[in-house]
Amino acid sequence: MRSLDNLFEHSARLLARQTSRRSLIARIGTILTGAALVPLLPIDRSSARAAESSAATQKNGPAPAGSDKLDSHQHTTPVKAATDDPLSCEYWKYCAVDGFLCSCCGGSSNTCPPGTVPSPITWIGTCHNPADNRDYIVSYNDCCGKTSCGHCECNRNEREKPMYRASRNNDLNWCMANADSNYHCSVSVILGVSE
Amino acid sequence: MNIALQTHLLRSALAYLALCTAVIAATPPLPAEHLTVAEIGVTKPHWAYVYDEAFNNETDARVHVFDGDTFRRLGQIDAGYTPGINLSPDGKTTVVATTYFSRGSRGTRTDLVEFTDNNTLAVTHEIVLPAKRAQTLPSYFNVAYSADSHFLYVAYITPAASFGVLDPRRKTVLNEIDTAGCVLVIPSGPNRVSSLCESGRLLTVTLNPQGKEASRASSDPFFNADTDPVFVQGVPTAKGYAFLSFLGEVHEVDLSGLQPVFRPTWSLVSAAERGTWRPGGVQVAAIHRTQDRLFVPMHQGGEGSHKEGGTEIWVFDLKTHARLERWPLQAYKLAPVIAIQVSQDPAPVLFAATTAAELAVFDARTAQLKHVEQHLGQTPWFIFNH
Repeated sequence: MRSLDNLFEHSARLLARQTSRRSLIARIGTILTGAALVPLLPIDRSSARAAESSAATQKNGPAPAGSDKLDSHQHTTPVKAATDDPLSCEYWKYCAVDGFLCSCCGGSSNTCPPGTVPSPITWIGTCHNPADNRDYIVSYNDCCGKTSCGHCECNRNEREKPMYRASRNNDLNWCMANADSNYHCSVSVILGVSE
Repeated sequence: MNIALQTHLLRSALAYLALCTAVIAATPPLPAEHLTVAEIGVTKPHWAYVYDEAFNNETDARVHVFDGDTFRRLGQIDAGYTPGINLSPDGKTTVVATTYFSRGSRGTRTDLVEFTDNNTLAVTHEIVLPAKRAQTLPSYFNVAYSADSHFLYVAYITPAASFGVLDPRRKTVLNEIDTAGCVLVIPSGPNRVSSLCESGRLLTVTLNPQGKEASRASSDPFFNADTDPVFVQGVPTAKGYAFLSFLGEVHEVDLSGLQPVFRPTWSLVSAAERGTWRPGGVQVAAIHRTQDRLFVPMHQGGEGSHKEGGTEIWVFDLKTHARLERWPLQAYKLAPVIAIQVSQDPAPVLFAATTAAELAVFDARTAQLKHVEQHLGQTPWFIFNH
């Protein structure tokens, strides 16, 4: 027992010598300062957003919480900085969305919010991605089964056509063929590069 | 102040108080009240039936009935989920083709048409539909009566396109007619229904007295869906409808005969304005049918701006096609206009619903702004009248 007591005493003194209160505070301070500096570093937001979106897709979970910063009628003058932000109506993939962005409703640009059901039928748009200068074919699925999300209304209509060309029309409720046709929000899923 | 004066003032105050108490006691009490339900009476030319999608909570759409003379809300017609709305030819009934879910926002879907008596705003009866009703933006053509009110037509999209033929008197669905991809129900005469096709044609189905298809015919193309599509929100004219294109072409269709007759196309814009000034919104124009006036909310924008509200209202003579006036809406401090309607009487009022949910009431002849009703509902997107 005596040897066990000596061992614990030795370990405690060693720990106390190596981890003084002052050194602990100093280390916490270093970490906090570093964390504060991170947002100032020049990082590529678009890749971060893509990774974030991809991670959300892989987990099939919600994207980071959105904000109600959109005004559906302020989309006519696109803001370049917003073209890579999935929480913005100006995000490049949303070029023919007319509805609520699932990114602001618990989902992401390609994930339906929890408890909703994707529509199996969609309308299709072609959107230009300024980051790689390519045109992409985008499927605008609706997420269904709950009443309208009511956040981040987005009304863009590039190359959108009236309902006699249904596959290019965003006025139809694309939840129409779901068992529960209640519309909640809209996602934008890349189908491929438009040749 | 001496004691005598104080005593005098106190006596005066007491006397005044006693007098007031006596007067109040002599006033008879208010009579007991009886709770009643208002009836709004016979419809008037300046009433507007304002479709409110309630887009932020879409299962709760409604129609606001608004008086353009007294500027008062007269009442409300509930309208369910993404409804189609219309008035009967005699103006006495509002029809609401809508969808309900058995558990409020979820559950079994029931599509139906509800009939509301416009003198009481009470629902009088309903007809249950197949669960195929077109759930889309409002127009005159989501649900529509035949000219003699014998039939009621309801547009179906599943997304296969067809329409239902209903007998509103017997309260039954008579038939469903496939339209081969052409959409909506544009009524003419007692038994004809036309639909808009992607090919730019009108498909016209003629019905027999039992509401079954007797014949069908396709018109020549009158627009090009690739280069300059027309808005589906056609506007009633004296003999048919006018369809505006995204670039501002006016396609007038005479549906008074057995087959559609297309009048020569004309333009809202000059060559210099083409592609920069455009019609837009949801209800893109209004026509006074006896005064031959066309009112169009116009905005400046490019491709893809066809749902933007107008920053000006342009007024045209339908006979000469001359632009008579431009009403800049900024001067009235109004948000962009996305729906417009004009009454059909000799002293017409013009209603304009804005993106800020305002309902503006103008004298249609002088452009005088008579009233702005703030926050008329949540998302007023279409205005019906009789």
